[in-house]
Amino acid sequence: MSGCPFLGRKRQLFTSKPSQAEEEDESQKGINKATKGGIVYGEYLQLDKVLSAQVLQSQQKGNKIHDEHLFIVTHQAYELWFKHILWELDSVRDLFIKNHVRDERNMLKVVSRIHRITMIFKLLVEQFAVLETMTALDFFDFREYLSPASGFQSLQFHLLEAKIGVADHLRVPYNRRHYRDSFHGQESETLLSSEQEATLLQLVEQWLERTPGLEKDGFNFWGKLQANIEEGLKMEKHKLEKMEDSEAKEDLLADLNKQTEVFTALFDPERHEHLLSKGERRLSYKALQGALMINFYREEPRFQVPFQLLTALMEIDMLMTKWRYNHVCTVHRMIGSKAGTGGSSGYQYLRSTVSDRCKVFGDLFNLATFLVPRAWVPKLNPNIHKFPYMAECYDSSYNSYSSEDSD
Amino acid sequence: MERIISLPYLKPVGRQNYTEYTNVSSSKQHQKEDENDDSQTGINKASKGGLIYGDYLQLDKIVTSQVLQSELKGNKIHDEHLFIVTHQAYELWFKQVLWELDSVREIFISGHVRDERNMLKVNTRIHRIVMIFRLLLDQFAVLETMTALDFYDFREYLSSASGFQSLQFRLLENKIGVQHNQRVPYNRRHYRDNFCDQESELLLHSEQEPTLLQLVEQWLERTPGLEEDGFNFWGKLETNILGGLKREKEKIEQKPASEMKEEMMAELIKQRDIFLSLFDEKRHDHLVSTGQRRLSYKALQGALMIYFYREEPRFQVPFQLLTSLMDIDTLMTKWRYNHVCMVHRMIGSKDGTGGSSGYHYLRSTVSDRYKVFVDLFNLATFLVPREWVPKLDPSEHTFLYMAECCDSSYCSSSDDSD
Repeated sequence: MSGCPFLGRKRQLFTSKPSQAEEEDESQKGINKATKGGIVYGEYLQLDKVLSAQVLQSQQKGNKIHDEHLFIVTHQAYELWFKHILWELDSVRDLFIKNHVRDERNMLKVVSRIHRITMIFKLLVEQFAVLETMTALDFFDFREYLSPASGFQSLQFHLLEAKIGVADHLRVPYNRRHYRDSFHGQESETLLSSEQEATLLQLVEQWLERTPGLEKDGFNFWGKLQANIEEGLKMEKHKLEKMEDSEAKEDLLADLNKQTEVFTALFDPERHEHLLSKGERRLSYKALQGALMINFYREEPRFQVPFQLLTALMEIDMLMTKWRYNHVCTVHRMIGSKAGTGGSSGYQYLRSTVSDRCKVFGDLFNLATFLVPRAWVPKLNPNIHKFPYMAECYDSSYNSYSSEDSD
Repeated sequence: MERIISLPYLKPVGRQNYTEYTNVSSSKQHQKEDENDDSQTGINKASKGGLIYGDYLQLDKIVTSQVLQSELKGNKIHDEHLFIVTHQAYELWFKQVLWELDSVREIFISGHVRDERNMLKVNTRIHRIVMIFRLLLDQFAVLETMTALDFYDFREYLSSASGFQSLQFRLLENKIGVQHNQRVPYNRRHYRDNFCDQESELLLHSEQEPTLLQLVEQWLERTPGLEEDGFNFWGKLETNILGGLKREKEKIEQKPASEMKEEMMAELIKQRDIFLSLFDEKRHDHLVSTGQRRLSYKALQGALMIYFYREEPRFQVPFQLLTSLMDIDTLMTKWRYNHVCMVHRMIGSKDGTGGSSGYHYLRSTVSDRYKVFVDLFNLATFLVPREWVPKLDPSEHTFLYMAECCDSSYCSSSDDSD
């Protein structure tokens, strides 16, 4: 083990503020280790590879266009971050797939990594502003040298979509072909696998189905909720009917009817299955119940971090939509209505992807439809209902200082 | 050179056979067919050979360069991947900044900047550098999702690798104009000692070639309106300021004696001293020798001229340039400070992997000695009421409306676009 961080520290933790001269000395302490062998920065980061990957097509063709370098570097930066998102995403999926997630001590890791993905997406959305310093006129000067390369051929982006859970059958077709047709050999294989392996959506769905409190012979959240809502609506109706006849009363009754319809639909499992088959819902009925449970009881200790997870998942959807929209706007500005270099209709195609069909966790957003007054939420009795306070931590594979397989 | 009009400019005609696409599941999709038609036009060219995305961007190099030291040493730590990718992203953008910076320096060095049609290009590229720096600043938030505890788990495998060995970062500093004798010494050694011979050569060159600061300085010295036998901006300004100060003094002296009168008089004297210092060339040169000022006296005059007359057509873009140069300084300082805060959070008071005192060293670099265009900031000290600014007469002072476009090397659709 090299470079023990604790060696060489002569300074106490808590001392008085050093004088100016002392502070300057402080900054001079240390030895320059680069001269002593061992890996250096450039080697560690393989900069010889990374920084030699910028080859301008315009220059190859004898007409070097300055702005092509920005175009290349921007896309490479995107791909670097895509790689990292896949790293985080796969590690989280793995925690679910290996069932390590059943040990609730792993939840912090899960939420931290999903949140990290949202932070990266935020950066990727902001990155457009840099490329937007290129004008359409400058882009025109080198665009002809790009064909047929196109972002549509980004393997990592499609892997990302697939692993998060963008529905294959809901994808907007690309020139009426399956998007996988753009890839060949190894890449096509990789894509196919990613579609067949458990997606984040599916894993989260199974996790939600296991939400404590759903058990019919236990807390029976759904049964209690239905009873409370029906009771609550009944009481509201009585109150309104006692009012003097008026237009306001009519309006209020109409609203109440609409509300009643909404909740009736919520408790209709067949309707849910129907919407599932159409692709308008993605989570199972049980998973939906779990999500609503976590929402209503988010302040219970056991549900706090799960609630953060659901929020972060919606954040991913929002950011991906923003990313798509920003991309559309940039492309529109750059090429107007021209066709894309890959052969698609360009702007038109991209615009069609900014839609709910590319949203993965839409059901979590839609839960807001079913919010009820706090009084209607089934009450918890801390003496009887211990499950909101007791976590499961039995997985023997969990090791907070694991040295074997920290992933 | 003949331009070949290639396919992207023709909108493809005809549509693919819809039945090639299976899995049409819902009626909703049929409803949307009309809407989709436009989005569906075109052909998929990727299948026809030719350069594709991954090859164009040499992704085989980029996405295979993440090798975790912790994994090599048999103890793979998850968060090391973030550490690597973040730094690689920074270095990619440093490369882009150097690309823009060198192209701008070249426009000045070659004299092309004298053709004022090149000013848009100069300004756009400097502004682009500003935008990149803004992104690099935002990027810290991503690395900050790593906790000190997670960093501790793999830090030992980094041994002596350190950001202090980033060649591109040093090149950037040098080419903008950070003075090597102003640098905070690093363990009392020269910063160039960290690099191998070849890289050290490059760094030496970057110190010796004209920096952005020097080139901008020369450009400022050429600001139209400074000519003593012409508009004589400086002479007129001095006259106006002295006259203005005198009138202010008389106004105050007429007031009845009071404590407020005393204060106002003291304030006026302070102001007068500031302006007198402005017109003291010897004082300026002294401050240059101590490194507190960086621009020549003449260049300072040019900058102030551009400030005061920024709305004149000829000075509008130059004014934007000066603003962007200050943005660069501001953002670099913020970058250094963000870096310091993050390092402090990660390693507290421990030493850096490269052997430095870590946090303490970095904190000492967040200082004005690294500010390159500090003089532009300080010009705000010398702002005067609008009436004191020498008046312009459009019929007489036509230089403000007439740009020089004489450079024969300028070509708006140049073969050598750089």
